[in-house]
Amino acid sequence: MKHEHMHDKVGEEDLSMEEKEIRGWKNKLVWSWILVIPIVILMVAERIFMFEIFDMKTSIIIILALGFPIIFILGYGTMKSGFRGFTSLYFNMDSLIALGTFVAYLTGFFALFDLVQDYSGVASMIMAIFITGKYIESKARGRASQEIKKLLELGAKSARVLRNGKEIELPIAEIKIGDVMIVKPGEKIPTDGVVVKGESAVDESMVTGESLPTDKGVNKDGILYIKATKVGNDTFLAHIIELVEEAQGTKVPIQRLADKITGVFVPIILVIALLSFFNWFMFTGDLSRSIGVAVAVLVIACPCALGLATPIALMVGSGIGAKNGILIRKGEAIQTMKEIKIIAFDKTGTITEGKPKVTEVYSKVGEKYLLEVAASLEKLSEHPIAKTIVNYANLKTYKKVTAFKILRGRGLEGKIGSKQILIGNRTLFNERKISLKGFEAKIIDFENSGNTTMIVSENKKILGAIAVADSPKPDSMAALQMLHKQGYKTVMITGDNERTAKAIAASVGISEVIANVLPEEKANKVEELQKEGMVAFVGDGINDAPALKQANVGIAMGSGTDIAIEAGDIVLAKSSLTGVVQAINLSKATFSKIKQNLFWAFAYNVLAIPAAIAGVLHPIIAEIAMAASSITVVSNANLLRRRKI
Amino acid sequence: MKKFKLLIEGMHCASCANNVERSVGKVSGVKSTSVNILTRKGIIEAEDSVKADDIKNAVAKTGYKVVSLSEE
Repeated sequence: MKHEHMHDKVGEEDLSMEEKEIRGWKNKLVWSWILVIPIVILMVAERIFMFEIFDMKTSIIIILALGFPIIFILGYGTMKSGFRGFTSLYFNMDSLIALGTFVAYLTGFFALFDLVQDYSGVASMIMAIFITGKYIESKARGRASQEIKKLLELGAKSARVLRNGKEIELPIAEIKIGDVMIVKPGEKIPTDGVVVKGESAVDESMVTGESLPTDKGVNKDGILYIKATKVGNDTFLAHIIELVEEAQGTKVPIQRLADKITGVFVPIILVIALLSFFNWFMFTGDLSRSIGVAVAVLVIACPCALGLATPIALMVGSGIGAKNGILIRKGEAIQTMKEIKIIAFDKTGTITEGKPKVTEVYSKVGEKYLLEVAASLEKLSEHPIAKTIVNYANLKTYKKVTAFKILRGRGLEGKIGSKQILIGNRTLFNERKISLKGFEAKIIDFENSGNTTMIVSENKKILGAIAVADSPKPDSMAALQMLHKQGYKTVMITGDNERTAKAIAASVGISEVIANVLPEEKANKVEELQKEGMVAFVGDGINDAPALKQANVGIAMGSGTDIAIEAGDIVLAKSSLTGVVQAINLSKATFSKIKQNLFWAFAYNVLAIPAAIAGVLHPIIAEIAMAASSITVVSNANLLRRRKI
Repeated sequence: MKKFKLLIEGMHCASCANNVERSVGKVSGVKSTSVNILTRKGIIEAEDSVKADDIKNAVAKTGYKVVSLSEE
């Protein structure tokens, strides 16, 4: 795996930064404990067993000497960043630790003259514990982002490329647009591209563990020659990773309060520590005790736990999502999801396969003529139903069509010779006031069995009707049942007529149908539904973009088109409704983790700070508690991974 | 409107991310800032008049360093 580092530039920098950080803390951890253990032995012997190894002054000097490298060399970064806060007035967590350990360390010098009790050993221990906590936290954070790392590892590492007629092996990063890659059976397709030679089936699920629809699938049989169309950061996989990372940076509204508190937390704690010091000194006159209390207050306060609570849970949640083909694009969506009452679905391509088939042709002028006319017009349209009819008719030659027009949401019109042809749905024929007499019964029959009916007329006279059916996806019904069980109201929004729509809806268990909706009206229908409660809209992208935006949570399905990804708050890689259920479960689980984390972080600070002020916590216990609180928050977020979604 | 994406080095606690947000937020023309302590990335939406250096300086003021910056 010699080319492992060649994926995505941003991701790579990120990984190494993270690993550098973990390694850095680990080194500091080892050295700080080597130095701090003798201090601990000295202190325990003297203060607990009252056994003096050296005389008191020598002992203090030894502790100061051992402590110096811990606090000022290993703790250099913390001290620097902490004290910079005092000059720039942008205080941070380090400011508290830096001030606390610095003051405690100084007491050692004063203790030499018997002015105060010596806290310098405590200072070293605080720094060592702080470093230990940071190490454990950075490890846990690394674990939290592992799903994204796995995504990065999914792609192929190298590729065989044809250059100057020769086959050479190159690392992925050196492939250029236009290169022709040779992919043998069982190999991953290195980068997005188009097949120029060869035929094979490409299994996308294998490479992604049923997750993302990367264009980088696994070639199943036959050699493929593929021309690279996108490389490096432009590939679909790289794009997805970028999106996930960007989403992890978005805010969840519930964190606003925590952010506000973190912003003013440190200066407030500094003031509280100062007040505690003066208070204790005034009431007890015990300088040593007062210093101890102030140091405990400084080191126990933990804005970190508060600040990490939300982003860490969001990171783990969105990582799990990405692994399962659920891209959370906006952190806000996981909070809103909890409020959702109604889930509206687009029909074609969402509930149904989106692959219509002609099921029956009914005509009084002969099927052949009807199909000839219909297919000649439909040939000019890109609509999936049009393609179905063209394929079904399978004509050798098409008639020449003039004055062709697409009537959005209704059908098509055009002229063949001097004959005016119309193909479309009921709405179109109602509008043109063309009677369906003689065909009405058959059309109703088609519709009742879930067919979309394309009616064809010539010079205002009906030629016949073509029944096209789009069957529901195999898991639509089960997924909808699960949603109903969770208490959601489900609604299907479709451009189809009422009868067809109802037949499809009934077959998957949806009770409410809004039919005859023109594409541009979908967003309005969502808006109407919003009067009853928060609405999630599930659609497949292109036509549905406005509705996805209008909904409180837009869930875009699978086609993987940029438009769909842009429009959705959550994007499903898999084009199945099971993904909707998973996305809802994941959002809820992530959000409840966030709430738990915020609760613990608040509770910790609310209980610990007063305890420190009251003087019941020794500074070392305070520091252990502080380190434990941020570790708890991060570890708790990692527990999310155990949830089955 | 334009969007800056930053990678910031040196932040190691949540209040650090907060400081960066606060400092960058004060730059005139900046509409929204979101800095993630975990990914070390910041996304800043700002008016077209805002320059990359304004952002970099605002980050530097809080004591952290912009490692990479892209504009779109």
